[in-house]
Amino acid sequence: MATSKHSEIPVVLVGCGAISRFFYAPALTALALPEALRVAALVDPSEENRGHLAEFFPEARSFGSIEDAGIGSSHLVIVASPPRFHARQSIHALERGAAVLCEKPMAGSVEDAEAMAAAAAAGGILAVGLYRRFFPACEAIRGIIQKQTLGQLRSFEVNEGGPFSWQAASESFFRRASTPGGVLYDTGVHTLDLLLWWLGDPSAFVYEDDAMGGLEANCRLALEYSDGCRGEVRLSRDWKTENRYTFFFERGFVRWTVNEADRLEICLDGMPASVRGNLVPMTRTGDLLLEHGKARTNPQSFIEQLRNLSATMRGEEELRVPAAEGLRSLRLIDRCYGKRKLMEIPWLTPHEAEQAQRLASSEGKEVASP
Amino acid sequence: MKVAVVGASGFVGMRIVESFILGKVAEVVPVVRSFSSLAVLSRFDLPWKVCDALDVSHLASAFSGCDAVIHAALGDPMQIVSMADAIYAAAQQAGVKRIVALSSASVHGLAPAPGTTEESPLHDRHSSDYNNAKVRAERVMLKLREKGSVELVLLRPSIVYGPRSRLLANVARQLLDGTAFLVGDGGGICNGIYVDNLIQAICRSLESKQGDGEAFLLTDAETVTWRTFYTRVADGLGVSIDSVQRVSAPTFQRSFKERIESLVATPLAQRLLPAVPGQAKRLTKVLLAGLKEPPRPNAWTLPTSPAAVVDEEMSTLQQCTWKYSSEKAAKALGYAPPVTFEEGMRRSMAWLGTAGYPLK
Repeated sequence: MATSKHSEIPVVLVGCGAISRFFYAPALTALALPEALRVAALVDPSEENRGHLAEFFPEARSFGSIEDAGIGSSHLVIVASPPRFHARQSIHALERGAAVLCEKPMAGSVEDAEAMAAAAAAGGILAVGLYRRFFPACEAIRGIIQKQTLGQLRSFEVNEGGPFSWQAASESFFRRASTPGGVLYDTGVHTLDLLLWWLGDPSAFVYEDDAMGGLEANCRLALEYSDGCRGEVRLSRDWKTENRYTFFFERGFVRWTVNEADRLEICLDGMPASVRGNLVPMTRTGDLLLEHGKARTNPQSFIEQLRNLSATMRGEEELRVPAAEGLRSLRLIDRCYGKRKLMEIPWLTPHEAEQAQRLASSEGKEVASP
Repeated sequence: MKVAVVGASGFVGMRIVESFILGKVAEVVPVVRSFSSLAVLSRFDLPWKVCDALDVSHLASAFSGCDAVIHAALGDPMQIVSMADAIYAAAQQAGVKRIVALSSASVHGLAPAPGTTEESPLHDRHSSDYNNAKVRAERVMLKLREKGSVELVLLRPSIVYGPRSRLLANVARQLLDGTAFLVGDGGGICNGIYVDNLIQAICRSLESKQGDGEAFLLTDAETVTWRTFYTRVADGLGVSIDSVQRVSAPTFQRSFKERIESLVATPLAQRLLPAVPGQAKRLTKVLLAGLKEPPRPNAWTLPTSPAAVVDEEMSTLQQCTWKYSSEKAAKALGYAPPVTFEEGMRRSMAWLGTAGYPLK
């Protein structure tokens, strides 16, 4: 699987929608020289979508389906299509010996994700696009929790989301028949991945959301851990939230604003105010402190996940987010949906609340009629 | 009854859909302009339509088979006027029986003169382009009604509040960060209407055989001051109303940029604009974008509390001395607000809690 350090890696970009245009295209352009990544093929059923990406990569060949793209063992395949296609496309590439980076959520179901992991098990490379793990701020939070720098973590609060602003290209993203979940599945996959990475599996949880025959726009997850730590996650694609994660430790608190890859706020007990600012990579040898430039920004973290994958293909690094890690958040989401309750919608009249309960518990089978 | 709701993803539109489905009031066809607007509506499994609200044939196809259309769509001043035209024409084409269009009490201005009723003459020389656009949109629809066969009820709700309301969220945020203000002692009249009361008026308008070609002012039953409104929110958040900054009635002068933008929004300018070369338009936009007053920083000041953010819209609203009457809607449509101000505020505050605001 590993190729020589200086040999070119041909890239196949599967799915030419917004994520590819606004994230993968600039990331691949940035890595073209340092990592010798060359976009060789663009795959999307829409010719118009392929045309947008061809503006970045005019030399790339264009295909309507992955089966026609001639994928082989030297390829790096990026799967950035809608999640319900991830399993089929990733397995197709893995079976031909290609390395795969699959966008989050890893698959449309746990079963599909397990099939993908199985396809990669025999020495294949399957990375999952949970790129927040590459944020220096998220790495720092993990260190503070695991080394108990501020003592034991007692509790945490996560408030994330806001009015939906992603330019969805079709209604499939909002139909239960074509998408397994709403805000928990879409935004929550990042949130739960970080929590699992930082804290491990919860010992108990309560999950509720506002789906009434469709997909949830708001949800609340209360978590408990075996060491006594408790946490609450609130996600919304409906209204503005603080977009903050707050961790309360024995001797202080840490706050992180969503997507600020290189910034953090820390308050130690006894300090008159908290410290909020940019992270600076630094090493210490005795009394000698050495700064090493600036911490990675959000786009640089996205680039870093691709660089980690190409370095893994070359046998130089370990893959940081392999399939087994991507599966963890998907399994927890699946368990949440399995225990779903309707969350309180306190502005409904009693009559409306009853009907809401009926629609939620019948999973949309009942059709409201006058 | 099957009803198309144009603007179903807005604050009022969303509650109309929620309330109609959960209350089994009518079969609903939400009409929105983009797929992204389905994010919250998709909590329900619905036969929504995604189409351009200015395209008559798209709209007519969305309205097909509907008995009525509720027009609750928002937009910029130009869109507000153009949508009125397109929605009426599409309803006519689709054979819809009645349109219930949400205009606004702001057609009478933000601080109406005492004695203002539905019969008071309207003008489109308000300082707000939004208010002027609402006046023009009403005129467009009423004119179309004269020639067309689709019945038209124009509702003029006052300040709509409730779950997901921007007004409520703004007041709460300003109370929490110390930038809220009251003009004088806050004794100005808050012509509020809880969103469910507006929905009751919409339902009555759909059911009634009366009201065609008429406009109706709508408010809550109670007369409430701004001080009372702010106090309810402040109490819920555990903020003392005494900490809210009091300001005297400010005057606002429009900047050069605002005056140009307002001029461009007038119907005459809109008719002339196509003749202006694109390069000249782009150059004007660039020049206007650069017309921001430079900040004047001064490091030699004592630390201060946050200053009140006094905007023209809120300060004008707070100077209102006239309580609108909903008597005409009561008589013609049978409007009788089912939710009291106290209950409306209780439900509104409960939403703030759900949305993560720190209730005490």
